[in-house]
Amino acid sequence: MSWVAGAWQSLTGSWGVDHPLLLGLLVLAALPLAASPLIRQGIPSVFLAPADGLSRAVSLSLRLAGSVAILAIVLGLAGLHRREQMIARQGTGAHLVLLLDRSSSMDNSFADRAPSGDQEAKSVVAKRLLDDFVARRARDRIGVAAFSTSPMPVLPLTDHHEVVRAAIAAIDRPGLAFTDVGRGLALALSSFADDEDEASRAILLVSDGAALIDRKVQETLRDAVARTPVHLYWLFLRSRGAKGIFEEPPPGENTPQANPERHLHLFFQSLGVPYRAFEATSPRAVEQAIAEIDRQETRPITYFERVPRRDLARPAFAVAAGATTLLLLAKLAERNLVRSVPTAAAARPQPAVRRAA
Amino acid sequence: MRARLIRDWRFWLLVVALLALAAALALPRLTLTRQARDLLVVIDITGSMNVRDYLQGGEPVSRLAIAKRAARNLLADLPCQSRLGLGIFTERRSFLLFEPAEVCENFAAIDGAIDALDWRMAWEGDSYIARGVHAALAIAGSLKADLVFLTDGQEAPPLAGGELPAYEGEPGAVAGLLVGVGAAEPSPIPKYNEDGREIGFYAEQDVPQENRSGPPPADAPSRAGWNPRNAPWGGEPATGTEHLSAMREDGLRRLAAQTGLGFAALRDPAALWKAVEADTRAHLVEVRVDMAGIPAALALIALTTLFGLGALAGRRPDRLPS
Repeated sequence: MSWVAGAWQSLTGSWGVDHPLLLGLLVLAALPLAASPLIRQGIPSVFLAPADGLSRAVSLSLRLAGSVAILAIVLGLAGLHRREQMIARQGTGAHLVLLLDRSSSMDNSFADRAPSGDQEAKSVVAKRLLDDFVARRARDRIGVAAFSTSPMPVLPLTDHHEVVRAAIAAIDRPGLAFTDVGRGLALALSSFADDEDEASRAILLVSDGAALIDRKVQETLRDAVARTPVHLYWLFLRSRGAKGIFEEPPPGENTPQANPERHLHLFFQSLGVPYRAFEATSPRAVEQAIAEIDRQETRPITYFERVPRRDLARPAFAVAAGATTLLLLAKLAERNLVRSVPTAAAARPQPAVRRAA
Repeated sequence: MRARLIRDWRFWLLVVALLALAAALALPRLTLTRQARDLLVVIDITGSMNVRDYLQGGEPVSRLAIAKRAARNLLADLPCQSRLGLGIFTERRSFLLFEPAEVCENFAAIDGAIDALDWRMAWEGDSYIARGVHAALAIAGSLKADLVFLTDGQEAPPLAGGELPAYEGEPGAVAGLLVGVGAAEPSPIPKYNEDGREIGFYAEQDVPQENRSGPPPADAPSRAGWNPRNAPWGGEPATGTEHLSAMREDGLRRLAAQTGLGFAALRDPAALWKAVEADTRAHLVEVRVDMAGIPAALALIALTTLFGLGALAGRRPDRLPS
């Protein structure tokens, strides 16, 4: 019996009705089997109309037409529809977590001043460009995490980019004091925990600074990266005067305390996963970096395209109208068996009375 | 022939059914309006929200869990084309996680985001609720959304002299409500170590019992050990019950009155929608409604009558042909 359950499952899985109680009216479809729109007429003998295949077929099809009309109307009234379908397709894209710095320094311009005139705050630039980025990557599953003084999961991985863009729109709100990159990264990695898919996974870290990562957190991160291999991109929004991440600082100053950004870069390099850092000193450079990431993350991915729900009420009504038209044609073609010629013998009853179909 | 057809009710019922079905197919979709809401839900995630003073199925449940459940129920209750944004409150700030997004299309993501809220996201132990509500109102105002602020009202440290800080915005400009989470009876607040493990409850001297910023209160000179320069608040540590937490309904009602918000106490997480419906503004959105059901139902009635009467009319002919 399991195949019955399976068939039922697949039926209800892809088809549905809005008002299941109305399906009770389907019993009305049995009525046309017991009645006909044609007038019953007595004939003296069944031998007057011998059974032939064509008559039987016409009789049966008229009954069926009645049943089909009622069935179709009831299904249409109940709101028959094909459910929203997800069709798996192959394309290029990635599972991506945006890890966004929400510290208050992001609210300054690239010149590290309060934004004024034509200068934009780093967070405003990041917001605009990330929004474009998400708009271009329609097939990615994107999650969002933020960090500042503490890490904050914002959105789980989702195909619905409207809410992702709503989360990106929130990043130019005033931020908090500190920059806890380490725990933020651990949070972003944990976003992939339930992600079983074989797709390429990437974390895009957007920040304008870094802080020391606790040794314990470093260990945790190495473990997590070993478990969930990801591609790591760091978009470093470098303010004027801040130390770069690619330059070797003079000896004596090369300590994690003096150059947290450079040492975060070294730490990421030591993780043993594909990693790229982009140092962006102006809005233009940010744009280039995002375009580069856009080019890199184009591995095959199975993505799901949504085929929206299709209402079948109107097609059902059209079927009902067709069946009713058939009945009406039959009705119009109906002829009285009795000739309207008055005869004297008409009054005498006949013994064998049968009904004609 | 024609006269017989015209006298035959069966014929007319078929004509009615066909015309009704034709009408069902031809009828355009009507555009109706429906009420939708734009909400910003801000959830308090400060330490006092960890107090377990709700009972569910005999198990104590924390305020935060109940607040999250209430917010998820609210999300499910909102009609499509409503929008919902999420923020968290801790310290003295309301922090926007994402701006309002359409609830039906993005249901799973928003639901997951609410579920992921945790007290560990909090960055500071303080809890200046009044300032947080003021900040949340500013955010909601800029998003043109109504505010739903879920909190237990526990100010830590307590307000200086019990006075609410001044509200700079215009009261009532942003609609919404404060939702009081928690029981009326005070309960101890769980304490966590730096690894996030629970290590007991806050004791009386673990939390500030009195706000000692700003000028001292008027009754200070009557306190033991008072000295205007060395001990303006009296010589003894303040005592009180700030380490126990109950839902501060009075304070929240005062705050609601100050800012023009509504107030509702959260008893049942499934019942938040009623209060939200009462205190937030609906705006009309257009939905397309298919009206084909009405003529189709008429067609069904006609066909049912036709076949029903046909079956009842008997299986025997009325009279024999003459």
